[in-house]
Amino acid sequence: MPVAASAIYFLNLRGDVLINRLYRDDVGGNMVDAFRMHIMQTKELGTCPVRQIGGCSFFYMRISNVYIVIVVSSNANVACAFKFVVEAVALFKSYFGGAFDEDAIRNNFVLIYELLDEIMDFGYPQNLAPEILKLYITQEGVRSPFSSKPADKPVPNATLQVTGAVGWRREGLVYKKNEVFLDIVESVNLLMSSKGSVLRCDVTGKVLMKCFLSGMPDLKLGLNDKIGLEKESQLKSRPMKSGKTIELDDVTFHHCVNLTRFNSEKTVSFVPPDGEFELMKYRITEGVNLPFRVLPTIKELGRTRMEVNVKVKSVFGAKMFALGVVIKVPVPKQTAKTSFQVTSGRAKYNASIDCLVWKIRKFPGQTEPTMSAEVELISTMTEKRSWTRPPIQMEFQVPMFTASGLRVRFLKVWEKSGYNTVEWVRYITKAGSYEIRC
Amino acid sequence: MIQNHFQVCAGIRFVLLHVICQDFDRTVKLSDQRIAWILQSSRGRSSMSPPAQPQKSPSPSQPSGKGEVSDLKLQLRQLAGSRAPGTDDAKRELFKKVISYMTVGIDVSSLFSEMVMCSATSDTVLKKMCYLYVGNYAKGNPDLALLTINFLQKDCRDEDPMIRGLALRSLCSLRVANLVEYLVGPMGSGLKDNNGYVRTVATIGVLKLYHISSTTCIDADFPSMLKDLMLNDPDAQVVANCLSALQEIWSLEASTSEEASREREALLSKPVIYYLLNRIKDFSEWAQCLVLDLVVKYIPSDSNEIFDIMNLLEDRLQHANGAVVLATIKVFLHLTLSMTDVHQQVYERIKAPLLTLVSSGSQELSYAVLCHLHLLVMRAPILFSSDYKHFYCQYNEPFYVKKLKLEMLTAVANESNTYEIVTELCEYAANVDVPIARESIRAVGKIALQQYDVNAIVDRLLQFLEMDKDHVTAETLVLVKDLLRKYPQWSHDCIAVVGNISSKNVQEPKAKAALIWMLGEYSQDISDAPYILESLVENWEDEHSAEVRLHLLTAVLKCFLRRPPETQKALGAALAAGLADSHQDVHDRALFYYRLLQYNVNVTERVVDPPKQAVSVFADTQSSEIKDRIFDEFNSLSVVYQKPSYMFTDKEHRGPFEFSEELGSLSVGVESAHNVIPAQRVDANDNDLLLSTSEKEENKGPSSNGSSYNAPVYDGSISLTVSQTQTETPYSSPALPTQASQSTLAIDDLLGLGLPAAPSPVPPPLKLNVRAALDPNTFQRKWGQLPVSLTQECSINPQGIAALTTPQVLIRHMQGHSIHCIASGGQAPNFKFFFFAQKAEEPAGFFLVECVINTSSSKAQIKVKADDQSTSQVFSDLFQSALSKFGKL
Repeated sequence: MPVAASAIYFLNLRGDVLINRLYRDDVGGNMVDAFRMHIMQTKELGTCPVRQIGGCSFFYMRISNVYIVIVVSSNANVACAFKFVVEAVALFKSYFGGAFDEDAIRNNFVLIYELLDEIMDFGYPQNLAPEILKLYITQEGVRSPFSSKPADKPVPNATLQVTGAVGWRREGLVYKKNEVFLDIVESVNLLMSSKGSVLRCDVTGKVLMKCFLSGMPDLKLGLNDKIGLEKESQLKSRPMKSGKTIELDDVTFHHCVNLTRFNSEKTVSFVPPDGEFELMKYRITEGVNLPFRVLPTIKELGRTRMEVNVKVKSVFGAKMFALGVVIKVPVPKQTAKTSFQVTSGRAKYNASIDCLVWKIRKFPGQTEPTMSAEVELISTMTEKRSWTRPPIQMEFQVPMFTASGLRVRFLKVWEKSGYNTVEWVRYITKAGSYEIRC
Repeated sequence: MIQNHFQVCAGIRFVLLHVICQDFDRTVKLSDQRIAWILQSSRGRSSMSPPAQPQKSPSPSQPSGKGEVSDLKLQLRQLAGSRAPGTDDAKRELFKKVISYMTVGIDVSSLFSEMVMCSATSDTVLKKMCYLYVGNYAKGNPDLALLTINFLQKDCRDEDPMIRGLALRSLCSLRVANLVEYLVGPMGSGLKDNNGYVRTVATIGVLKLYHISSTTCIDADFPSMLKDLMLNDPDAQVVANCLSALQEIWSLEASTSEEASREREALLSKPVIYYLLNRIKDFSEWAQCLVLDLVVKYIPSDSNEIFDIMNLLEDRLQHANGAVVLATIKVFLHLTLSMTDVHQQVYERIKAPLLTLVSSGSQELSYAVLCHLHLLVMRAPILFSSDYKHFYCQYNEPFYVKKLKLEMLTAVANESNTYEIVTELCEYAANVDVPIARESIRAVGKIALQQYDVNAIVDRLLQFLEMDKDHVTAETLVLVKDLLRKYPQWSHDCIAVVGNISSKNVQEPKAKAALIWMLGEYSQDISDAPYILESLVENWEDEHSAEVRLHLLTAVLKCFLRRPPETQKALGAALAAGLADSHQDVHDRALFYYRLLQYNVNVTERVVDPPKQAVSVFADTQSSEIKDRIFDEFNSLSVVYQKPSYMFTDKEHRGPFEFSEELGSLSVGVESAHNVIPAQRVDANDNDLLLSTSEKEENKGPSSNGSSYNAPVYDGSISLTVSQTQTETPYSSPALPTQASQSTLAIDDLLGLGLPAAPSPVPPPLKLNVRAALDPNTFQRKWGQLPVSLTQECSINPQGIAALTTPQVLIRHMQGHSIHCIASGGQAPNFKFFFFAQKAEEPAGFFLVECVINTSSSKAQIKVKADDQSTSQVFSDLFQSALSKFGKL
């Protein structure tokens, strides 16, 4: 059996029960105490998300200030259980309008109970598709006043349809203006050695989609990936157009995508769910364009002084710019005084994370600002060991840039009524774990 | 608020003593203020900062929800009859309040009849809340639950399918055994309902019914109806639910009924499997996991069939849901087990999806996937050797992820990538995070032990010694020692560096033992070895670890055999200190060496310092059989725990005393695996050295290791107690807990025979205080402080088992023997009790007993702790005789 969850608990950080739902009687009611006592109140917290206490296994996840704990007594499917929690949280979020935290749960507990009843029965996951759940849920989510999204209109007496070819989409949707929004979000991971060679580098990307389309549209997405293009040129017996193609290491799709067709024709075709969803995920390791190069030099001058020079080069197009760039340069714990000179942005010393933090709000392409800092250390008698340097870490967002070079070539919408659609495409590259050893 | 919170905790902590079964809805004491706060939040205020001033004195005994609850009761009554407009809204608010109380653990079961009265409504929202309430409390109030049957049955015939479904679900969730007769009718019509939603609810309902009363379920012929539905229903969710229900029912029934096991086999027949596979795209992602899990067990007739299935399922590897991908991978791996070539291709094919899953999604999910990747890498490291960069650790990753990655890096190292991997590992060795640094050094060492060309690695290891960090030095020393056992030819280089290490900087017992071993083994190469050893012997008293003292004895003797004049003094001192040592092993070894030397020096040399053979392979801690078992259980907890499921789900293997450990220091999870798996050691005729490269061993932690060496604290006058305590702490072999208890039994028998001959005086008869009293907190404190003085297993007569329907019966019986119960719990077949008793004359003479009774094996496990250890055996006899009288009139 994939998951037969015996119970689900929602706890706050102090261990108070916010929600409990016992699905089966094979675990005792005091499981939550066991969790509190053996996981929350010990150092075990954060050591491993799967723990065994007595005869039961606990899967727990922390989401903002809430712990979600699943208790099972059998040899359950771990991946399934965690995925279930992730999906359930996404579902709750869609009902609360964004935030998932203690307040939201306290405000919506009846709704959560209702949802928990529908999405899992006797420990077996049931339907988690928001579209279908809407039909069974009577409570409206209490939205926080800060969420800007308007409340979804209640579904007008739709007929019950759990199944059918497209379980994720209701029939009879009508929009005045038919629009599709595509977001390509990439996060680039880098590990660079102190000598400047790339040890590890990859890009994980997602294609997020927001659809406001009437009826039952068929969509087809074309990307500039190598296999897709080759297949296309084969089919049309035309030579491949020149231009950059990229090689995707691996792709996964939302369950609306016709996978058989992807495997045979290499086209991404699907009937989208209404609203927002994640269409596909991909991973690329070859030919990654790194948006930034970091060139640090750190000199330790005697035991009480350090000189830090960091040069950051932006290697994307001069017309583009990165936003929210943060460079964290670690310094020893016993740092006493720092002084900075920066050519762009602002720098300061953050004692709580033992880092020099250099922030540049807007970072144009093809530039190379520098930061030079002098760090004075408190001399300590006991400190005989040399300081081991953690890596420099970087955060950024580069709009309209993809580290993988992925581009959307076309997005075709076909619906039997033949309306026109407006398509919007955005690209953004974020830093995943961008680490440079120094 | 903080203070307040502790009050609550103190209340809860004792609840834990009722280890097994306590309804969660029992009153948890809450202060007034807390409730005020909950109320406030339930009204939906967004500003929910708890009241600022701390609560002064919340009276812990007062269930303070009472006032509020009776208030609610009144309001509900008023509304129950009312038909005025707006009543429903008012009711909704009240119901919400009731449910919020229920959630925080206030007992609102007293409102049952009012709630039921109020639920005569057409409002769906109200109905749902009422169902939730009823489902929660019906089990505790079977009589009141009867009240709800009527309106639930009515709702089951409602024209709105949603109401029908909800009512049926609530009806099945009442969990009251004597109401099942009312269930059969609605369930039957639910299964035939024309609405898919109702049928999905009904199918799971059958399973619920089975768990309440299996005979009713079977007699009503529901399973065959499910089977029918499974093969014909148009709704995929109904099919999936039928499948999960049938799987569970048939496997539970299979042990008793032939037919059931045939039915279970039938689920794996070709038509069923093909039917499900062909519909796989209709199923929800969770149901797909279920189906795929079933397909794994299917045995295809030939290779064509295998390829058909794999082709059909290939696209599942692209599914966004990681659980589906893992389930598909499992199918692929298991289908191709017999075809080596294809199996390898499967590995190649699944590599990319697995790596994607690891790098995307939530941290917990990627951990789960990483565990599976880890398993595969360990099975076929060669296939992953080019992907080693994926296993590089990120700085911020949690320890449990880094540890897995380090193990994978170690496994995939081969001639072509060793340099890069070791370079990367050396980066981690300088890490500020000490556990990671240790793991990395061990990883380097392991690679060194795997490779033939270790030249560069040895240099790296020796560089670690120069880093001058105590934990690095300690870890490295242990490795260098192992390395020397495998590659004695490197001794020259290593010894040059090792000789420079000041033994003062090495404090960890394992490292110190390693250093001492090297000093003894290579004493002819280290010029001042005798003098270092001598200074160590001088500090004999300060050396707390028996392991180090044992090594020191051996090392000094080896050194003496090679350089007699210089070591003679040290040897004399060491033997004298050893003979006076309080630790039995150290004493024995010193005595043994002393007598050997007296007998013949040449023989001594042959015994203590024979020519060594290099160790070729260090033993693996996990047998391949266990690894295969884990592989069979791919995509389950077994992979995360790295042990087959029987070790953590079977009651027997978990060991009978797991719960009592919860009271003291708890050791659960991965560590306990190592107690179970008997480690095979290659000792390389160096038996004096209990070493092993397996880090698993070292992971056992000081608690188990330490106790195995420390002499148990005992009162010397009672020999019986001693032997039994010792079996409690298994000395060298990490034996199965069950074996340990068996051996206890054996010793009981032996000692039982030998008891009259024992020189100890016959203990005076023990009188117990009839009205002994002990409050729970004191009990718990005592339980935590006192050592276990006795562990025994005894069997219970059949009459006793028959009488033990609920814990209360036994409690009353034992009270008649002046043994009082402080906490109990459990359900058949396992019951657990905590008893205490007090000596009649001595107010301080308490006995604390933990008693676990398994009715299916008719055995009771008894653990006694006592203020006065010397009388615990007498007490235990008394306890057992009282227990044996149970059930006999």
